[in-house]
Amino acid sequence: MTTNREELIVEFKEHLIKYLNLLDLTPADIQNDVPLFGEELGLDSIDSVELIVLLDREYGIKIKNPTEGRQILVDVNTIVDYIIANRTK
Amino acid sequence: MYIKDLYAISPQKTHDLSFENGEWQVLNEYIYKAVEPSYQDLIPNAQLRRMGKAVRMGIGVSLPILGRNPKPDGIIFGTANGGLEDCIKFLNQIVEYNEGTLTPTNFVQSTPNALAGQVALLSENQGYSMTHVNGSLAFESALLDASLYFDEYHGEEKNLLVGAVEEISDYNYNIDRLGERFKEELVPNVDLLSSGTKGSYCGEGSAQFYLSNNPENSLAEFKAFKQSSYLSENEIGEFVKSFLDEQKLDTTSIDCLLLGKNGDVSTDSWYEQVEQLFSDKPKVYFKKSVGEYRTVSAFASYLAVRLLNGQAGYLMENGATEKPRTVLIYNHFDAVRHSLILLQK
Repeated sequence: MTTNREELIVEFKEHLIKYLNLLDLTPADIQNDVPLFGEELGLDSIDSVELIVLLDREYGIKIKNPTEGRQILVDVNTIVDYIIANRTK
Repeated sequence: MYIKDLYAISPQKTHDLSFENGEWQVLNEYIYKAVEPSYQDLIPNAQLRRMGKAVRMGIGVSLPILGRNPKPDGIIFGTANGGLEDCIKFLNQIVEYNEGTLTPTNFVQSTPNALAGQVALLSENQGYSMTHVNGSLAFESALLDASLYFDEYHGEEKNLLVGAVEEISDYNYNIDRLGERFKEELVPNVDLLSSGTKGSYCGEGSAQFYLSNNPENSLAEFKAFKQSSYLSENEIGEFVKSFLDEQKLDTTSIDCLLLGKNGDVSTDSWYEQVEQLFSDKPKVYFKKSVGEYRTVSAFASYLAVRLLNGQAGYLMENGATEKPRTVLIYNHFDAVRHSLILLQK
């Protein structure tokens, strides 16, 4: 289990690319503070469900409250901070 | 039903018409994979990255046709398996994650009607939508549906997008291989029919047609079609003759015969029975080009329209006719499901 924040960021981005099939991107292409659902990556509502599945499978985190989800699934930084604080695996 | 436009993605270079103009791909593979065009200008990236191959190929064929023609009144597709790769991935996830949270993408893409739905969404079409999953007669069922639709609106001009799609996935290839549908040894497609062994080679692709009940400016016509199951070798000749009788034609009326002969020694004899009826006629063995799959009759129909319009004539064997006017397609799958499609120009 990765505990170092920088390593976790890279690992999360790799999962992001795999789960969302963003195969033309590398982890270096995804900025940590750019909104995931903005114009940059162009993610949509189906992707948000894929992200929830990703967090559940890879980190044992279950997001059930939509309001909470909107605050977590903002950018790579907010998600990784949440993983560090709440991961169960 | 008049064909106004058509397009195909197949193991040959049909997407840029190289195949029609004489560039024939020699294939020496166990799997005849479709030659796909670049979809970047056609399908938004956000949607493209989620699409399985069947949906991607299907949309890659639909959108160019829809871009050249008025919005159709309906979309009718046939597919035996649809996006089977995504379907099996989804089913495996249910087991792997102990029926926990599942990803939506594989599920959305795995249903056979995902293609018709995606095409309707992308082209903003709210008309009739139907997907037929009748195995190896799925395309023929789509044709029948289209015919019934035009009958229903007799006297009123209507247009339909009709076609078929099939993808090769590891899963269905392996299942069909275990069923001895595919050859264990490698023979180039040019020698497919003389391989002398059981099975054929697996192909894939999508072929679609813009159909209308208005004959004006049409490329050809789906004149008639007929299907039957469990015909014996001795019954197939009568099946063909009675079909031609119903159309007030006989074997001399056919200018070119397209046969689904696939190099499988256990089932090619049905084709040989039909070949004998048309011994002096030019023939096209279309599975040498694209392999065997359950909706391959859509590709055969695509090829027939090209032949009727003076293209791809180099594929005719046993003599050639410059521009056939009446073409008959005979295809069967496993010698169980048989279909005849008659096209005219």
